[in-house]
Amino acid sequence: MWAYVVNLLVLISINAILAVTLNFILGYAGIFSIAHALFFGIGAYGATFAAMKLGADFVSATAFGMLLAALISLALALPALRVRGEYFVAASLGLQMFAITVFTEWKSVTGGIGGLTNIPPARILGFELTEPAHFLVLSLACLAVIIIIIRALVRSSFGRSLKALRDDEVAASAFGKNVAVIKTMAVVVSSSLAAIAGSLYAFYLSFINVESFVLETSIQLMAMVIIGGTATLFGPIIGAILILLLPAGLSYIPHLPATEIGSIQQILYGLAMVLLMIYRPGGLWGFQEKPKANA
Amino acid sequence: MNGEQDILLQVTGAAKTFGGLKAVDDVTLALRAGIVTTLVGPNGAGKTTLFNLITGNLAPDRGEVIWLGQSIVGLPHWKIARLGIGRTFQDLKLFTHMTVEENIATVTEPGSWLWQPGGTAAKQARRERIEAVLEATGLKDKRHARAIDLAFAERKFLSLARVMAAGARLWLLDEPASGLDRGSYERFLSLLRKAVTDGVTICIIEHNLDIVQGISDRIAFLDQGRLLAEGDPKAILSDPALAAIYFGERAA
Repeated sequence: MWAYVVNLLVLISINAILAVTLNFILGYAGIFSIAHALFFGIGAYGATFAAMKLGADFVSATAFGMLLAALISLALALPALRVRGEYFVAASLGLQMFAITVFTEWKSVTGGIGGLTNIPPARILGFELTEPAHFLVLSLACLAVIIIIIRALVRSSFGRSLKALRDDEVAASAFGKNVAVIKTMAVVVSSSLAAIAGSLYAFYLSFINVESFVLETSIQLMAMVIIGGTATLFGPIIGAILILLLPAGLSYIPHLPATEIGSIQQILYGLAMVLLMIYRPGGLWGFQEKPKANA
Repeated sequence: MNGEQDILLQVTGAAKTFGGLKAVDDVTLALRAGIVTTLVGPNGAGKTTLFNLITGNLAPDRGEVIWLGQSIVGLPHWKIARLGIGRTFQDLKLFTHMTVEENIATVTEPGSWLWQPGGTAAKQARRERIEAVLEATGLKDKRHARAIDLAFAERKFLSLARVMAAGARLWLLDEPASGLDRGSYERFLSLLRKAVTDGVTICIIEHNLDIVQGISDRIAFLDQGRLLAEGDPKAILSDPALAAIYFGERAA
């Protein structure tokens, strides 16, 4: 039972990192990216490559994944400079689909469909994290650091610029905001922090393949953010917890055939989204956070 | 006023066509420093389009826009704003989900990067500017309210507050007082007069003739994209031919 709880908590903290970093662009900057799973994947493959081929420890492997994600996110940010709203969604979808093909086909690096196995355990300062409980501490620490970074950014002048261009791009540039630069930076920050989740995931499972980084993952992350509450600090975490607990909870319901859990889950997600949009469009956490001004 | 002041912004031969419509047609207009120039004219005269040509939201098909002796045509929108040209919008374009204070704070922050230039002293100066603007526009009690939750007149004042806080030398105001009750627009006018005393140059689009008379140093009359007359308010407003156009009785 304990092992089960620890495993669930590690997965929740990894998904919470992804949801929090996605919310940074979706909630605060109004950039609807459905390519977030791609940066999760780049973090995972990048860190794995660094660990297996270069013998990197956790910190340098993660840094390598983050750097890769930051560079590739520029490919997403560049169309973002030119298009708005629904066109950006299409551009990010294109990038996500393209990445899935690369993850599947570039066998020498990604292992193709079969993925990569026997990823060595995470090493930090010469200490190997083989115990799941130790790994939980590491992943919670990463989540905490990321929350602190995002919180600081959102409350800074940069955060205000992000919110300004989310609310009205024309007005933001009429007041001297370089919308293109601000958007690019937001996407780069969000993507490189998401890569940390990828690195944690790879070291934790010691196995990765393309299935974890597909479009469905991106959509599920978006659901976490929207259900929890966009543009709130803790909403995405609540969303991550709920969405990961749902299948776990369903499996405890007696007389429910295991084969049906997937479709019941989909129905519940859909129902939850519709009800939220009607009764609590700000998300579950959205109504609690009163707007605060920090100049 | 005698129109002898230095020219802050000069528009020369500006033209903009949308499809077959000449929205702005060969307009030449000087905005002189430290006075209020009012753009009047019927709907569709090209007043807002002229603003958009000045601020770089639209690129002119022809013509020049000269700011302090330098051409600004082709500069990106945000760079023109940073030169000291601030504007309001007819539809306000407030940062709706930000608080009043955040709306004002963000326009005082010039940097796009993670820090602002000038350190603590500049931060303190921004702080004071925000407080002064909140005070002047009567929005102090609403500082933590989101823009979207404000009443109509408060939104109008917030729209002006952003221009005030941005520290622009030239304010382009697009129907800032429309829909305000008498008390509010008196307050509005006194804010504008105070700004002019402090050296701000204002160009305002306005339909309310009371306001036009109450504030204008010069009037530019536009119709169907053309500048028909420009000069002293009394002369323009008493011209029967212009009045006929303004009130929709087109002179043959």
